[in-house]
Amino acid sequence: MVATNSVLGLYDNPDAGANAMDGLKSAGFPLGSFDVLTGTPYPEGAFGEYVPQHRLFRFPFFGAMVGLMLAILFTAGTQLAYPVITGGKPILAFFAMLIIAYELTMLGAVIATVVGIIFESRLPNLNLGAYDTRITEGYIGVVVECEDDRVEEARGVLQTAGALEIKTA
Amino acid sequence: MATSSLIADVTDNRPSNQEATVDLAGEGRTAASSGLKLFLWALAAASVLGFIGIAFRFINDGGRQEWGYYAATLAFMMTVFGGAPIVAIAPAIAKANWARPAARIASLASIATAMTALMMIPLLFKLPPLTVFSEALGDDIRRTSIWFDSPDYAPHFWNVLILLTLALAGLAMAYLMALPDFAAIRDHGSGWKQRWGKKLARGFHGRPQQWEWLKMRIGVTGAFYFAILLFANFTFSIDFAMSLVPGWKDAILPFYHTISSMQAGIAFTILGIWAARRWGGVSKYVGHEQMWSLGKLLLATTLLWFYFFYSSFIVFWYGRTATDTLTLKLLVSGPYIYVFWTVFLLAFIAPWWVMIWNKVRDSVWGPPIAATMVLIGLFFDRIRLYVASWSAEPDNLELAKLSMLEKMPDTVWPDVFDVFIMVGLPAFGLLGILLVTRLVPVVSLWEVQQSRLITKPIRFMRTHVMLVGKPD
Repeated sequence: MVATNSVLGLYDNPDAGANAMDGLKSAGFPLGSFDVLTGTPYPEGAFGEYVPQHRLFRFPFFGAMVGLMLAILFTAGTQLAYPVITGGKPILAFFAMLIIAYELTMLGAVIATVVGIIFESRLPNLNLGAYDTRITEGYIGVVVECEDDRVEEARGVLQTAGALEIKTA
Repeated sequence: MATSSLIADVTDNRPSNQEATVDLAGEGRTAASSGLKLFLWALAAASVLGFIGIAFRFINDGGRQEWGYYAATLAFMMTVFGGAPIVAIAPAIAKANWARPAARIASLASIATAMTALMMIPLLFKLPPLTVFSEALGDDIRRTSIWFDSPDYAPHFWNVLILLTLALAGLAMAYLMALPDFAAIRDHGSGWKQRWGKKLARGFHGRPQQWEWLKMRIGVTGAFYFAILLFANFTFSIDFAMSLVPGWKDAILPFYHTISSMQAGIAFTILGIWAARRWGGVSKYVGHEQMWSLGKLLLATTLLWFYFFYSSFIVFWYGRTATDTLTLKLLVSGPYIYVFWTVFLLAFIAPWWVMIWNKVRDSVWGPPIAATMVLIGLFFDRIRLYVASWSAEPDNLELAKLSMLEKMPDTVWPDVFDVFIMVGLPAFGLLGILLVTRLVPVVSLWEVQQSRLITKPIRFMRTHVMLVGKPD
């Protein structure tokens, strides 16, 4: 199903915006098809909005594991390939390997985090839909993406919540 | 006991969101005043003098010792402009509400850090090589440095890479912190500002997901910047100062360099918000709270300056080997003794004495006075470290191999071109920052709006306080 319309309700106080979000949920608009636009970050879930789950935390963990494996491979491999006893210590000396292991673990975690951020950001949404410049002045925008047959219903819900203005794009 | 009865509402006199938008992103942002234009032209003229100074240094190159003031000036710029963005990062991580109006000024210093990184490239040509062939020994001789075994392109290529990474991380962080304000300029600005706002906002419409990712990106670039800043101070202080002096081995110097960079960054931010308040038309947004909080941080880093200096000094003092004595003489009690005492007075004694008084810290004029002293003091400190190091002849690595300063150099006084460089290059950095502030508001609009959202002035019993909410 391709959403063809973007309907925006503009509110001058956050409570009315949250009510509009509740109204859209009650009217059966699917989660993810409506969103809130604000000029400043509000605490997550303040409007009861849909919060997409990201998996960024998995990336540093994976990167750290890869880094640690590589470090063990490098240090153990080098020392086994060139077995020189230094200071009477064992060939595979834990404390000497620990430094390289720490560095490569951190490096793996950092690189994977950067890659993770790019990956989890997904492709930019070029169709931004309806918008009002007063949003960056502190007004709250509630935007719904829906097909032609639900535009009037969406406008009704937004109006009921006390929208100052409704725009369609 | 019911605590809610102790709290009562009071009138909120802070500018509304609409007012702030007009002031910081809309029609309130007027064209540059004649005073500002004059100041920008003065900075531009000083910058030209700085580049004339560099050109003459190249044309009349009289040896390594003549580049000391250039190295000291760049070290000072990296100290100040490189350290300032930390003021934007650290309080944001700690969710300190007071820092919001100061964060933009601090983050914009990375513009000048990027310019410093580029100006560093000519100096790299003047760094002596790590090894030379000795006919007497029939083998390569390596001077003391952190680049064991003298890998290819070290230290030149790696220093450029580190400084450019620092600059890019800083610019990325400054851009991300300004992204929502570009959206506000796109929506409420006019003319060229609106066109640039539209280009730079890149479709930012304030969706929760956009805010979430913005927060993460600021966090990641901030952490990355902090890590690279430590590394840049480490390599710069060793390659451009310590390794040029035979026998100078000091594990504390890089940390001394870093902590004084943070001290200078805080001082720069204090002066920046003071100037923005005085001439930038943002007195409604910055005031006592920022001065007071930054003043406390300045006092703390001033005390840390002494701690790190003394930790380093005492090792040489008790060491008392011939090398230790010569190093101490070069940097403290010898040709730069008056510079050292100026540093000690201006980077520690005077700001410490000024800032221990709460009444002074909690004023709009006290912290800027201390900050000015700190910046002057640290400028002399970089002269003490870098001019002395670049004057420590010879380049002869066979003598350097002895790990002993052959002879104590005389004091190197600046000539007119050194003065051009010392005035011109910091002016060039400042010019870059001020030109960017013609587009980017000096106080972050979205952070001001967020601050208004999560704070509320209240009456608590018989006094007035600010109630602060900390989301997340």
